[in-house]
Amino acid sequence: MNKQVKHSTVGQPVPLIDGIEKVTGKAVYTADLESSACLAGAILRSSVSHGHIVDIDTSRALGLKGVSAVITGADCAHTYGVIPIAMNEYPMARDKVRYRGEPIAAVAACDAATAALALELIEVEIEELPACYTIDEASVSDACLLHDDKPGNIERKVQNEFGDVSAGFELADLVCEETFDCAEVNHAQMEPHAALAEYDAERDRLTFHSVTQVPFYVHLTLARCLEMDPSAIRVIKPFVGGGFGARTETLNFEIITALLARAACGKVMMRLSREESFITHRGRPETRVELKLGLTKKGNITACQCRVIQRGGAYAGYGLVTILYAGALLHGLYDIPAVKYDGLRLYSNQPPCGAMRGHGTVDVRHGFECLLDRMARQLELDPFEVRRANLLTAPTRTANELLINSYGLKQCLAKVEAASNWQERIGTLPHGRGLGMACSHYVSGAAKPVHWTGEPHAVVSLKLDFDGSITIFTGASDIGQGSTTMVALVAAETLSIDMSRIRVVTNDSVITPKDNGSYSSRVTFMVGNAAIEAAKALRNVLIEAAAGKLDAEPQDIDCDGEVFSVRSSQQSALSFAEVAQAALAVDGTIAVKGTFTCPPEAQGGKHRGGAVGSTMGFSYAAQVVEVSVDVDTGLVTVEKVWAALDCGFALNRLAVEGQIEGSVWMGMGQALSEETSFTNGLPVHANLLDYRFPTIVESPDIEAHIVESIDPLGPLGAKEAGEGALSGFPPALANAVANAIDIDVNFLPLTPDRITDALIKARRAANRQQRLKNRKAL
Amino acid sequence: MVEILPNFKLVRPKTVEQAVAMLARSESAKLCAGGTDLIVNMRHGLSDVHTLVEISQINEMQELDLDDDRLRIGAGVTLNELARSNEIAKSFPAIHQACVAIASPNHRNCATVGGNLCLDTRCLFYNQSHWWRKSNDYCLKYRGTICHVAPKGNRCRAAFAGDLAPALIACRADIEITGPQGKRVIALKDFYREDGADHLKLNSDEIVTAVSVKSTAQNSAYKKITVRGALDFPLAGVAVVCNQTPDDGRSFSIAITGTNSSPVVIDVPELKKDDNRQDFFSALGNLVKKSVSPQRTTTIAAHYRRLSIAAITVRLAKTLSDEGSK
Repeated sequence: MNKQVKHSTVGQPVPLIDGIEKVTGKAVYTADLESSACLAGAILRSSVSHGHIVDIDTSRALGLKGVSAVITGADCAHTYGVIPIAMNEYPMARDKVRYRGEPIAAVAACDAATAALALELIEVEIEELPACYTIDEASVSDACLLHDDKPGNIERKVQNEFGDVSAGFELADLVCEETFDCAEVNHAQMEPHAALAEYDAERDRLTFHSVTQVPFYVHLTLARCLEMDPSAIRVIKPFVGGGFGARTETLNFEIITALLARAACGKVMMRLSREESFITHRGRPETRVELKLGLTKKGNITACQCRVIQRGGAYAGYGLVTILYAGALLHGLYDIPAVKYDGLRLYSNQPPCGAMRGHGTVDVRHGFECLLDRMARQLELDPFEVRRANLLTAPTRTANELLINSYGLKQCLAKVEAASNWQERIGTLPHGRGLGMACSHYVSGAAKPVHWTGEPHAVVSLKLDFDGSITIFTGASDIGQGSTTMVALVAAETLSIDMSRIRVVTNDSVITPKDNGSYSSRVTFMVGNAAIEAAKALRNVLIEAAAGKLDAEPQDIDCDGEVFSVRSSQQSALSFAEVAQAALAVDGTIAVKGTFTCPPEAQGGKHRGGAVGSTMGFSYAAQVVEVSVDVDTGLVTVEKVWAALDCGFALNRLAVEGQIEGSVWMGMGQALSEETSFTNGLPVHANLLDYRFPTIVESPDIEAHIVESIDPLGPLGAKEAGEGALSGFPPALANAVANAIDIDVNFLPLTPDRITDALIKARRAANRQQRLKNRKAL
Repeated sequence: MVEILPNFKLVRPKTVEQAVAMLARSESAKLCAGGTDLIVNMRHGLSDVHTLVEISQINEMQELDLDDDRLRIGAGVTLNELARSNEIAKSFPAIHQACVAIASPNHRNCATVGGNLCLDTRCLFYNQSHWWRKSNDYCLKYRGTICHVAPKGNRCRAAFAGDLAPALIACRADIEITGPQGKRVIALKDFYREDGADHLKLNSDEIVTAVSVKSTAQNSAYKKITVRGALDFPLAGVAVVCNQTPDDGRSFSIAITGTNSSPVVIDVPELKKDDNRQDFFSALGNLVKKSVSPQRTTTIAAHYRRLSIAAITVRLAKTLSDEGSK
């Protein structure tokens, strides 16, 4: 590890600079925007899972008093989608519907009640088709096809092999194979979806507010679907109440709101219900993981073979990236010489899946860490020992050519092993109580964005003006993760100034520079670096001015805590105000910018799909979970969690701890109780009672530890902190349950009914064995 | 699709008599206490209410009295008021435990005892939006003709999910009901019927005004099966009251919620001093399994609800019978 440098602003716990607005209720979210002069938007959704649209009659709805516009699929003939080569979705269904809840038509009316009434007056005739809801139903030979050009309902097939897998299994002393079934989950972000669109008919311009994580995608998609020049569109992102990947893609309701505003020549507020927010989905798909690992007696992994099948829902969306991620991130955590991956993404008649925190990796990591633990048990190796046997050494490249520049997993293991008192406690707990552990990792930003244009990966601009204030302009979307604070922190650090001098202006396309958006944990790494570059540019201008005023050479000027001096001499000290004034006197208001571009060597291998998973730096995490299991009710209670994350360098320790806790908590939801559930394609989970994310009662004490491996490319050494600690939780929990009740389970989530079934099965098997034994004894 | 609250008239009577008169005046008038369940259902389009008769101004319904003879709880007492009573926590643990197991502290600030006793039955085919139910041809409980849970049957299988009722029934509570003809008092266990679409023996112009139990302190407990420790309605819940008999045996009073359209009373034989305890409790578990009939009304499997509630009933009964002997 590189040595630590002394910092003045970063590296401490700093409350988020937009936190006051949030906790005092002053923050204005999209649905809170002034809407008294707005029309209310509402969406008519398909009542069937699969069918041809024969006829849509909107005449009665249009005739209703108070209705300004009614639109259908006929009003937009352009597909959209986050992956340029896989756009196969219309904002409103045109010839066919493919899932219950798919938008068919929309209305704008004087108020919500009138809009709801108008929806009832739209008559839709649909000729129903057979539907497929499961991996097995979608893949049988005579399955009804969702898309005519997708035989077998296959969205994407991925096959690759790095190293010699058969040779690897030959070398192994133990080869095991298991299949894991992980339920589909949804982000369930706190803020339901909403959008506000205002169309200026005189100028043919559109102003659009939305809950998006990536305003730039929304901007491009609106231009495409509305056939408008992008310059006529302004996209603003207000405060956002959580994204977790749900809002990376542009979503159908966003396009529909804009179409409605244009059709009505006015301003339309669209507020989706919680149910509709669930139906919009884009969550983590139901996934089957068939995994085979080879281990030597000492625990070294010799080969890994993994087949992943994802039930992707009705449209492509992010699917091909998800199925590529699932394979690519088999690499990068441990030293594995040979990996064979087969991925299969299927279409099914459910809302489309998409990106969700830990995109593509979580279910595969679950299977991997569970199987590794079980094999370690067979080899009589400690779970920590087997992981230590497979550590990487940075810098290196994985078999699939991912770049590893920094690697703090060893330190993460040491931290949680000591903190949980693992070695003293493992094996000593009573039946029903257990300890489990697992490791995980995640990318710090996709090194190659899906919309590749050749532009820098991030741009940040700064303004210094007569009042001595510094304004940072960034398109990075703060969705609660703290990116706005991060930008202010690194700029203040680089400029040696006080944070109070800084204001951050974000996410207004007419003001802020374009940003690729908040996804794949790219913002700290890329925007952080761009902000540092911008701050350095401003610092150079200030030092130049100070040098002029002090009659010294710029390289002799020191700047520390807003004081400029010649080699720190007290007599020469100039205040920030004096230097700023001198700099402004030259040319007036100062505007500078900084950019960041990912080095080509970080952009992945040349093989097909090689860009997915590529990044400049991986975060690493290890965690220990302690559980108790009630064998009467099957209820698993998480008693305590120890989690350590290597985030390179913690720019803001408070934010990093928060992200570790959030990751653990979200992983806990998926592990314990969260899952979607459909009855004939109708979502029964689409409310906060039946979609059971944990409450504060289930939230355990989480001890967060930070490991700093100082990444050579990261901003001040930082890497991502928001996703890496998620995917370790579910396997750590399953391993703890195995430790508590001696039962290995191959499903997620570990709900009490499933655990009870597993307990019954185990009891029956034990009884059978006992009877056999008795018979033999006779 | 938007789940807007339909327009309604809100009236706030000052006496029970006024409230009864207001209810009698209009078919579509409905009583509203805390509203934590009713308002959600109204947003889902689950009722055609034009007038809400809101009871917070009726002082006589907000009273909580414990004297030497009876504990009487006004129907308008909020769950947090009930939870704050140390006497009840001490003398009637099952009632207290059931109370604090309901929803969340925020809900309990407004939700009332009467509201929880009169809670609408729940089903995954019913507690959905208007769009959802319309897409599924509605259901027997509201606007439809078949029960999707048991399509071959002729009644609604929606489950009663109140937590207080089993605790109060196990304590042999009476319920006071006032209507145009005056007040009637019946045993709480007789207040319910096994029909999810019509589970309360309460006329549309009648009001539950109070519930009462004998004020003898008891050895009792309530426990519910849920996936989460807050918010969730019971997948199943059980209240057990255990009394020592004169010859050092144990008598039990047990009621279960969440598994049927009404609370289920379990008729348990006495545990005699010389009975084999293991046999007794194993028989109790089987009796519970046989007595309840959970259906596919929740996303959690019905057979799990049957097994787990039997296990929890036995656990509570065992613990309480041990405590009694201390």
